[in-house]
Amino acid sequence: MVAEKQTHDINLHDVNLFLRDEFHEAFRVLRREAPVHWNPGSARANGFWSLAKYEDILFVSRNPETFISSKGIGGPGERNPRPEDVARAAARPPGEGDSSIITMDPPRHVKMRRLVNKGFTPRAVNAMEPQIRAQTREVLDAVGDRASGDFVLEVSSQLPLAVICGLMGLPREAWPLMFELTNAALGAGDPEYQTAQVGTAGSTEAARATARAGNLRMAQYFREVLEQRRAEPREDLISILLEAELDGEQLTEREILEFCNLLVIAGNETTRNAISGGLVALDEHPDERERLQADMSLIDSAVEEILRWTSPLHHMTREATADVEIRGQQISAGEKVMMWYPSANRDEDVFDDPYRFDITRSPNDHIAFGIGEHFCLGAGFARKEIRVMFEELFDRYPKIRLAGGPDRLRSSFINGIKHLPVDYR
Amino acid sequence: MPRKVTVDALACEGHGRCQNNAPEVFQLDADDISRVQLDEIPDALVAKVERAIRTCPRQAITWVEG
Ligand code: HEM
Ligand code: SF4
Repeated sequence: MVAEKQTHDINLHDVNLFLRDEFHEAFRVLRREAPVHWNPGSARANGFWSLAKYEDILFVSRNPETFISSKGIGGPGERNPRPEDVARAAARPPGEGDSSIITMDPPRHVKMRRLVNKGFTPRAVNAMEPQIRAQTREVLDAVGDRASGDFVLEVSSQLPLAVICGLMGLPREAWPLMFELTNAALGAGDPEYQTAQVGTAGSTEAARATARAGNLRMAQYFREVLEQRRAEPREDLISILLEAELDGEQLTEREILEFCNLLVIAGNETTRNAISGGLVALDEHPDERERLQADMSLIDSAVEEILRWTSPLHHMTREATADVEIRGQQISAGEKVMMWYPSANRDEDVFDDPYRFDITRSPNDHIAFGIGEHFCLGAGFARKEIRVMFEELFDRYPKIRLAGGPDRLRSSFINGIKHLPVDYR
Repeated sequence: MPRKVTVDALACEGHGRCQNNAPEVFQLDADDISRVQLDEIPDALVAKVERAIRTCPRQAITWVEG
């Protein structure tokens, strides 16, 4: 007898849940009533399991052979994928996963990580701090003596762009294009970023076409960069990838292009939203903000609390390769599993008083960066960028205030803020 | 019985959370690999080691069985 799957009338397919910022309440209910539950699919989208508890997300993240990434990590996927995508997936050698590190499975995945990991260790990041601080000051210099503006466009998006473009050796002129393409790739579901003239604004067709156009343009751009680096190697990440060997072979052009694409997207969008979301959280909790500004030595633990509180990535998805039971629910091979980080990071079984924003919270073992096999490669850079940004921001504009509410991204993947009006002084 | 703990040097990526959570037991070496400082873990440190195991992003830390 097959047990019936537990469902719930909270529908995590509904992107408006995230737009309206009501998802924390939804997750609180789910943790209590249906911590492992099945969200039936629609005519277009696959059904999926949702994990709301911290422990369950640790379990899935730490079993990368049973819960694989190569069938897609950004959501449950479409029920009727395009034939060319199916063909491409089928042509892939078994056990190797996709060609991007984030959608790659063991055993190749960890080898790929080792090629670049040295550039991302805390030591490497610490060595870059003076440069990151200089970049932060440059960003704030550009705000100048403006009294008010859009914090996202002027500040929070600019530092992550500077840092990631710096690591990859891309010139200042490339920033606006990288900003635009990241928005197209990850914000494709939001009418503001939709470039494609297909379907209606906000439709799935428009989202898909926008993302595809953005990714194509990105590949085209990086193909040119690869040409330049082959002719004239440098010391940046792209040159390292070009020279690297894995199992005695160089990476394929596609693998390198996918890596560049991932770095630009993952390096930008998430850190940007941690900085914007951090400012919102501090503005909404004036006592905590005052405590921090009175004693900036609290910044490290404040950064951790900002990460827990904002959880810039809503989820990562896996596909089960075997039948597994979690909390009495039977997950079958081939089914999608979504790990909801904001829910794990407010799990009452792990965090005392999880709905309190506490800049000295200890312990604070949040998993905003995921955990295990695919643990965020850029966590050290993200932490450093957020830290240095708030140090410099409060030094320069100690009275910065929100001048209106955040304009949120329409996405169930990224906890994004598109615009944030502020008074700098 | 006192227990032993080990770090898989190939899995460790030097994130240093173990060193933050249990500095008596784990220290990063010059290559950013976590090295166990104690042959045997006294009872008083078991909880800290458990936490280090749980929070290591790369699952590099394990108890030595037996
Ligand atoms: C606050 C900012 C950030 C957050 C919240 C974040 C979050 C995450 C999460 C949750 C994962 C795990 C994916 C999974 O388990 O499937 C991940 C992976 C990754 N992140 Fe980040 N990230 C941030 C910043 C960055 C930055 C700045 C970079 C680049 C410099 C970066 C590069 C990557 C890469 C390359 C991966 C894939 C690692 C792998 O698959 O082995 N991230 N990130
Ligand atoms: S927490 Fe894990 S990965 Fe980080 S230094 Fe310690 S053992 Fe290595």
